Amino acid sequence: MIILRNLRFITKVTKTDANIPNYLPKNIRSLRNQTRQRVESLTTKEEHTDHVEKLAQPTRTEQRVNTVLRKHCLCNKSPTLQKFLQLGVDLHSIERRKGLAKFTLGLDFEKDVQPYLYFLQDQGVPAESFGELITKNPLIFKIDLDDLQTRVNYLESKKFTAVQRQRIFTYNPFWLMFSTHRIDKRLGHFQKEFHLNGDDVRFLASKQPRLITYNMDHIRKASFCIREEMGFDKDEIKCLLLSKPRLWMINSDELIERFAYAHQTMGLSHDLLIQFPEVLTSREFRLRQRHEFLATLGRAQYDPEKDLYTSPKDLVSGNDYHFVRNVAKSDLETYELFLKTR
Amino acid sequence: MSLTKVYDAPTVFRHLNGIMNIYKPAGMKVKHVKNAVLHNIAKDLNEMKVREPRKLHTPLLEPGGDANPLLRKINSIDLADHILATGPRYQISDIRCALVAGLGIHTSGVLLFGINKGINQSQQVQRNRPVRAYHVTGRLGMATETHFPDARITVRADYRHVHPDRVSALAASMQASHQRKMYELCGVDLQSQAAYEIACKGLLRPADNTQPVIYGIKLIDFQRPDFTLEIHAINECEEYLASLINEVGIELRTVAHCTSIRCIRHGHYGVETSLLRHGWNLRGVVKNMREQRQVLQKHPHLINQDKIELRND
Repeated sequence: MIILRNLRFITKVTKTDANIPNYLPKNIRSLRNQTRQRVESLTTKEEHTDHVEKLAQPTRTEQRVNTVLRKHCLCNKSPTLQKFLQLGVDLHSIERRKGLAKFTLGLDFEKDVQPYLYFLQDQGVPAESFGELITKNPLIFKIDLDDLQTRVNYLESKKFTAVQRQRIFTYNPFWLMFSTHRIDKRLGHFQKEFHLNGDDVRFLASKQPRLITYNMDHIRKASFCIREEMGFDKDEIKCLLLSKPRLWMINSDELIERFAYAHQTMGLSHDLLIQFPEVLTSREFRLRQRHEFLATLGRAQYDPEKDLYTSPKDLVSGNDYHFVRNVAKSDLETYELFLKTR
Repeated sequence: MSLTKVYDAPTVFRHLNGIMNIYKPAGMKVKHVKNAVLHNIAKDLNEMKVREPRKLHTPLLEPGGDANPLLRKINSIDLADHILATGPRYQISDIRCALVAGLGIHTSGVLLFGINKGINQSQQVQRNRPVRAYHVTGRLGMATETHFPDARITVRADYRHVHPDRVSALAASMQASHQRKMYELCGVDLQSQAAYEIACKGLLRPADNTQPVIYGIKLIDFQRPDFTLEIHAINECEEYLASLINEVGIELRTVAHCTSIRCIRHGHYGVETSLLRHGWNLRGVVKNMREQRQVLQKHPHLINQDKIELRND
């Protein structure tokens, strides 16, 4: 009996939280224990005047022990992480990806991070987008500054204006990870494949910088899809590429479905689709719903020369309310009743 | 009770309980519908005023300045609780959501979900097996492998000899034979007095929870080659309804496949109040749950069943 009572006494005092796994090193386990106990004492002892705060317990995902707790203890102590928080870097998403958490913890703000931020600022990247840049690509701090300078010089030598370079670096955090050789090969590929001249390549790179560093397999598949399966010829493809480069980044199966609906069911010719490429960037269900609604109203006329013409651009732009009132010239109740019959 | 505007997310989350009635679009999996709705709810909750980061439990001390040289406490926030460090305050896994009864991929219509504390209610509703009403459209002349229009066509047949009165007569006879089967499924020996007493009460629920039972089939629309049937059933699935259309075609000495299935009623939850795609956000969901609560108040027997036969109200 005495032994049992002692056991209970021992287990009560040294109560280890079952949630903290045993394979973690001892210091982290003790740190986690500390924060856990302190949270409990906070809610029981103190009088919370703010009613909302008292009842706003951490949600289930926060109570569950995840690797975020490691940052919990270190956010308050590491000046680098604090500076990152000030810049607006999303530490939570960095931590999710393997290996990046350890890397960012090891960075020293003055020595490692600041030179890069000054460099980016010299290129014209606004300070507000630093947070997003670092969130998406923290490994940029691994690259040598000389390499970065070489890559920027390459772009300058290819006659990219300062505005274009600024757009490239702001919208594509991964551009600077590619060596000069790779970027050169990619730009050359786009130039040869789509018969673009120098100005076109620069325009394309600044309009959609992500396309240049996109997965080559995906781009090849999308080009095949647009050329063979949809039946556009070379000039039309060039026109599409320069007006809506995003088409090459969409999943090609979905793209084919949308094109099939737009071309066969809605009756839009190739010329109309080149004039209004937005039709191919909207999701298929939206096209279907809106076209069928217009068809029941008798307004599904996409030929500009005939009466009751609706522009395909209006078909896909705006939310449902805007579409129903301005384009279909009807009211939302009719549209809802129509949708519920499908 | 007056309505007050709520700006903080924890209050809304605490009151986000009940059953919501969603209009599922055809061609979309139930999983995707659930994910879409929950994702939008979590996004909207995070955009409202969320919990501030906690204060540090060991407040720091700073010198009070020239006027007051005593050290004083500053309650600085615990950076570990900052939104950028822990992630968004509300995530999809925080919201508990359970489906009441599923619909197939090709089916559109009423889809009920129970959220947070409404999961109990939703499970009780499903345990009492409410009757679902469908509008099933079929097309004569072609039969496919899975009885749906996206599969390979197997048989083609002529359908000029089919007339609407033949179809409605066939529907009535199918309804009679299904109702006879229902008495066999009620779990009592057919020759006994208990079976007679049960049969006197009217239409019953089956004892088995998996066997589909049809209570009513009626032809509501006939435009050759398309026809629409209204079907009232329990425990059915979309493959069963599609094979029903196939059987109708065969009985009419032609072939048919199913072009669309629409669930118009689930118990007393109708399609008039269900939430369309542009309402799949926090505002729409909260409004929808408020409306659906009245359904349960008017028909408490959805949760607490007191009779074994189907009710008319």
